[in-house]
Amino acid sequence: MILEFFRWLQNTGFATAFRESSLVYPIVLTGHLTGMGLFGGMIAITDMRLLGWAMRSSSITDVVRQLRPWKQIGFVMVVGCGAMLLAAKAELYYHNPFYWTKMTLLMLVGVHALVFHRSVYANTEELDRALKVPVKAKVAACISLFLWVGLVTAGRSIAYWDVPEDIAPVYSSTAPTPAIATANETSLRSRVWSGSKRSLCCVRTTRQKLNGLVST
Amino acid sequence: MQIQIAYDPATNPLNNNEWSFPLLEIIHIVGFAIAMSTIFMVDLRLIGIGMRRRLASQLSKDLAPWTLGGLAAVLMSGPLIFSSDPNMYLNNASFQFKMAALLIALVYQYTIHRKVAFSDPSPVVGALTGIVSVALWVSVVAGGLFIAFV
Repeated sequence: MILEFFRWLQNTGFATAFRESSLVYPIVLTGHLTGMGLFGGMIAITDMRLLGWAMRSSSITDVVRQLRPWKQIGFVMVVGCGAMLLAAKAELYYHNPFYWTKMTLLMLVGVHALVFHRSVYANTEELDRALKVPVKAKVAACISLFLWVGLVTAGRSIAYWDVPEDIAPVYSSTAPTPAIATANETSLRSRVWSGSKRSLCCVRTTRQKLNGLVST
Repeated sequence: MQIQIAYDPATNPLNNNEWSFPLLEIIHIVGFAIAMSTIFMVDLRLIGIGMRRRLASQLSKDLAPWTLGGLAAVLMSGPLIFSSDPNMYLNNASFQFKMAALLIALVYQYTIHRKVAFSDPSPVVGALTGIVSVALWVSVVAGGLFIAFV
């Protein structure tokens, strides 16, 4: 059922147009990363403040409250751009174990919020009044840091999973993806490889580019 | 014009196992997220739309070690990633753009941006400084992303 949904998703007019555009796709990727640049470190700073390592001259309340709206904007940016990237090639993501690892971690981020929001992130005044930051808050901070680094790791790993040869995504539109985008994505992907295959591909694409030669 | 240096990527250990390249990319991303967020936090304060409970100078001082730490992670992993295929990068227009933007952004960060933030500027000067900073760092990210697409 999920597979059918993903197939439908990648064949919506929007996803098709997006997949086949050579410019919009990298722009959305940039948005995905800029969003991370906006809020990734803010999460780290919030958690480091709870652990007592960053911004100690500000109260926990100040740090959490001031960062909250910006983290929310960053999160919406990342998820919005991420959803577009998913829609473009949904079926390939469906088969990718790292994609599901990432989604599991994202779900755990939600669970983390359910468990700790009230007692830690929405309870900062009490944390500030306490002589020492309670263990619970520090545990929450550590788990949060692990989850987010895990998310980045799983996210990056998505690109390093070799698509098995028997998986052929069903696209309703047969228009070729722009040659430039495909060529370069392939050269990027071809670094991904198993062992020696990678260095060979890597060297080969470089040489081809430099010499303007077709593979022999 | 093609730039070509005599270097065989196949001899680079980074190209001979599966995990080191993605690991470097992850360090690069986590480092850039920390550096960029902390720079943005100061920028938001300078522009006057966020972090207003602290003076820009205090914020800047509190966050400086995190920015530096993030940048250190980025500037150590980056050249290693570059070493995996230098000729490809050197001839990539987006990479050239990224390096130019990075150089300007770094110099800007540690000269004008730093000076302005430490002086708790007037709203107009602050806003201008902050906006330029955001634009520079977003250019660096975009330049990096487009390496794979130009």
